[in-house]
Amino acid sequence: MVDGKKTVLEIEDLSVHYGYISALDHVSLHVEQGEIITLIGSNGAGKTTTLMAVSGLAAKTNGTIRFKGQDITKTAPDKIVKMGLCHVPEGRKIFPALSVYENLIAGSLGNPALKKERIQELIEEQFNLFPRLKERIGQAGGSLSGGEQQMLAISRGLMMDPDIVMLDEPSLGLAPIIVEDIFELIMKIRDMGKTILLIEQNASMALSIADRGYVLENGRIIMEGKGKELLVNPKVKAAYLGA
Amino acid sequence: MEYFLNQLVNGLCQGAIYALMAIGYSVIVGVVGMVTFTYGEIMMIGAFSAYYIFQAFGNNLPLAILAAFTGSFVIGIIVYKLCYEKFFNAPRHISLLCTIGISMLIKNLAQIVFGPETKPVLDIIENRTFTIMLGSVRLDIKLLQIVVILLVIVLAGTLTLFFNKTKWGIALRAVSQNKDAAYLMGINVKRTALIGNCIGSGLGGVAGILLSIYYYSVSATMGGAYSMKAFAASVLGGLVDIRFSALGGLCIGIIENLGIAVSAATFRDVFAFGFLILVLLIRPQGFVSKKGVRV
Repeated sequence: MVDGKKTVLEIEDLSVHYGYISALDHVSLHVEQGEIITLIGSNGAGKTTTLMAVSGLAAKTNGTIRFKGQDITKTAPDKIVKMGLCHVPEGRKIFPALSVYENLIAGSLGNPALKKERIQELIEEQFNLFPRLKERIGQAGGSLSGGEQQMLAISRGLMMDPDIVMLDEPSLGLAPIIVEDIFELIMKIRDMGKTILLIEQNASMALSIADRGYVLENGRIIMEGKGKELLVNPKVKAAYLGA
Repeated sequence: MEYFLNQLVNGLCQGAIYALMAIGYSVIVGVVGMVTFTYGEIMMIGAFSAYYIFQAFGNNLPLAILAAFTGSFVIGIIVYKLCYEKFFNAPRHISLLCTIGISMLIKNLAQIVFGPETKPVLDIIENRTFTIMLGSVRLDIKLLQIVVILLVIVLAGTLTLFFNKTKWGIALRAVSQNKDAAYLMGINVKRTALIGNCIGSGLGGVAGILLSIYYYSVSATMGGAYSMKAFAASVLGGLVDIRFSALGGLCIGIIENLGIAVSAATFRDVFAFGFLILVLLIRPQGFVSKKGVRV
């Protein structure tokens, strides 16, 4: 829609309830190919729920989700992943007793079309992105530091060679210097031709690299705009940027 | 001294069978994420599958092992469908109670179908004894014991290769470590859990046939005590770590046999479970070194 680009992900009127509690209330958003879109908001605003609903892990009470033009509202989570949608979950959720290498192989399971040689290529790509992982190739995932685990979680997701990467709080709990690395990396991933949907509490960082942003409050989208515009918006500034 | 050494050999052999039981049990608990109390009956079905193969085709051990694995594998599918599939998001005790119920059902059905009496399983492996002299100490090892130990080693090795070198194995381990993350890797978690449950059950079935040829008998009610021992062994190993569970099984086997050497054979279970309680008092996490590290 924007600039005549192809819409990769389209969420329309999405509502999610946890019991009686409404977590998402008629949320609509769209992600175009090659964009970095960020979803910001405070704790409990429904950011993670949005991603969970997209990847099929949260039950939806209303709305439709289309991915590459196909309706995936009722599709099973593993099938959605196999269509090329990668979700790097909050809290990393790497497999602690699988080695780094095995974690990467586990990621490649998400794309059955990958041939053996391509998997090796992808692994090499990950090692180029994160030389640290190569040093730790045989180590158990659980023994890595927080930052390394986050890198592993992202590379594990990239191993499926997805069309869109949804990142849930990649900077959570990481040292500031590593946070910068992560954001640089997100831009690198975009330059590799992937589309990115990024959720962050670190709103200023997220908005500064995003093409567009959505502001989520109590399960509703209250604002939408270009990343740079939101960054200087007085309301956003007051509520999320601590200025 | 001689007696103790011989009991140690018996213990090693019995421990090897317990280790196999525990490996199967840990695989199930790992991939399904819930404990099972149907395991004894699964072993019993394996033993009976083998028993009928022996009846029909004579002493064909490989075929019998295959039958035991298959029989228990199929029961694994039924148990999964009835006890787990609908209850992944329910409180854990629901599927647990289901497994107890199914265990009773299978046990009693088996008594009707197979008959309530204990059936002999004789001369499956030639009754030969090898004698080793260690100085003046005479060590007797039966061919049966060697076959059992080798079989367990081969099976455990195959399983290790499967778990570490194949995509299926990695998917199984991923499911066992984090189901949500496994979904996000595009793994069909339910189908993988089903297959893991069946592989664990199949191993239980093989343990069942080994028990029946070790004790020369098979009966519909044989499962109960072994189910508890498999549980105990894998608790020792931290429930889901197959290597430590195997070690737990081995320890229980050895402790039992050394224990009855100083008392009487009827105290077998006292030593097994006494050992479990003792270990858990000192190390509540079992043999596993780190909390949360799995399979």
